[in-house]
Amino acid sequence: MTTTSKNRHTETQQPHWIEWMTGAVSAVLILGMVAWIAGEALVQEVTAPSFRSQVRAITVVEGGHRVEFEISNQGTTTAAAVVVRAEIMEAGRPAETAEVTFDYVPGNSKANGGVIFAQDPAGREIRLRAIGYTDP
Amino acid sequence: MDEDVAVAGTVSRGERDPDEARRFLIGLGRGAAGALIFGVPMLMTMELWFLGFYIERYRLLLLLIANIPLLILLAHRVGFEETFTWREAIRDATIAYGIALVMSALVLTLFGSIRPDMLLMEVLGKIAIQAVPASIGALLGRSQLGGELDKSEQQDEENKGSEVSTGYGRELFMMAVGALFLSLNVAPTEEIILIAFKMTPWHAIALLVLSIVLMHGFVYAVAFRGTHELTKETPGWHAFIRFTLPGYVVAIAISLYVLWTFGRLDDVAFGQILTFAIVLGFPASIGAAAARLIL
Repeated sequence: MTTTSKNRHTETQQPHWIEWMTGAVSAVLILGMVAWIAGEALVQEVTAPSFRSQVRAITVVEGGHRVEFEISNQGTTTAAAVVVRAEIMEAGRPAETAEVTFDYVPGNSKANGGVIFAQDPAGREIRLRAIGYTDP
Repeated sequence: MDEDVAVAGTVSRGERDPDEARRFLIGLGRGAAGALIFGVPMLMTMELWFLGFYIERYRLLLLLIANIPLLILLAHRVGFEETFTWREAIRDATIAYGIALVMSALVLTLFGSIRPDMLLMEVLGKIAIQAVPASIGALLGRSQLGGELDKSEQQDEENKGSEVSTGYGRELFMMAVGALFLSLNVAPTEEIILIAFKMTPWHAIALLVLSIVLMHGFVYAVAFRGTHELTKETPGWHAFIRFTLPGYVVAIAISLYVLWTFGRLDDVAFGQILTFAIVLGFPASIGAAAARLIL
């Protein structure tokens, strides 16, 4: 409880046990946060961004074929402005190329995006590759 | 002490004098002013316009619904405790929400951010998202900015000796409102995640400690108007455990909620989420501390 009198607040002297309880739980939560972050900082090895992409769905849309994909950053460092090039491969050579840029792919996290091909990629291999990034 | 004394600028039931209508209009004006003061930073943030159409609808709905009890509780708190009924609180909250919607629509139209040729869904999304902080502003504007015009000055005199008790839960609620308000202002911007990406884990821990120290300092150490005092026998760490630490947890929880609402946490690793929350928790905790002083 707090007692307010003309903009003067005085905390009560005999607080309810719930106040102490909440305080204790809060302290545990905050220490937990600090411990988690410190733990990651101490234990986890810092690795540069490295990407893996996977096609999730191909749908026919107005003016082409949309390929939705997921890109995951396996490194612990966040990458910004990640350029992903998507190619439809035909006999070992790219038949069509599309590019998309992700603002951020955080470390150990995923991001989703899509490209739109004019050709139908059905039956052919789609190659997805991150070709560059910057440090945020 | 009847109710029209308690509510600045609203029409009361029973006999009405010609002043009532004028007072009501002035109340609306104050609400609009409050909505602008609190809402303009967000109305002029492009990320929020974009959020209006890409925010997931159920998250937007949840935010809009959660705002209703928040406004009612807030209206009940900023009114005069003894005379202010829940009925009036609900009415004031509704009016504040309404003012906020109108002001948001008006300003967004002026900025050319909403146009008649846009999808209704997009227009509604943009207005709705802006209405949340604006409604808090409208409510505070109606109560905090006003007061002199009617009999409340005299009311203040009468109230001078009286004390208002704030329950512990209410105290935490006030902190949540302050945290929500400041975090809504900055959460949609890209800077929050960019800052998190630039920080090392040690930076994050330092920011966490600083946020807690600032919170405690704001409320107990620096002698602002509305500063909280401890009785002489109470050691300082008592308030730290009972109010500051829970307050920080509230600020972090609100930060997480706001980030989730804006879709910033999707597919992000837990360690990164914590860092985002600490970065947003910085303004949120300042907002929480300020709310304890102001409200």
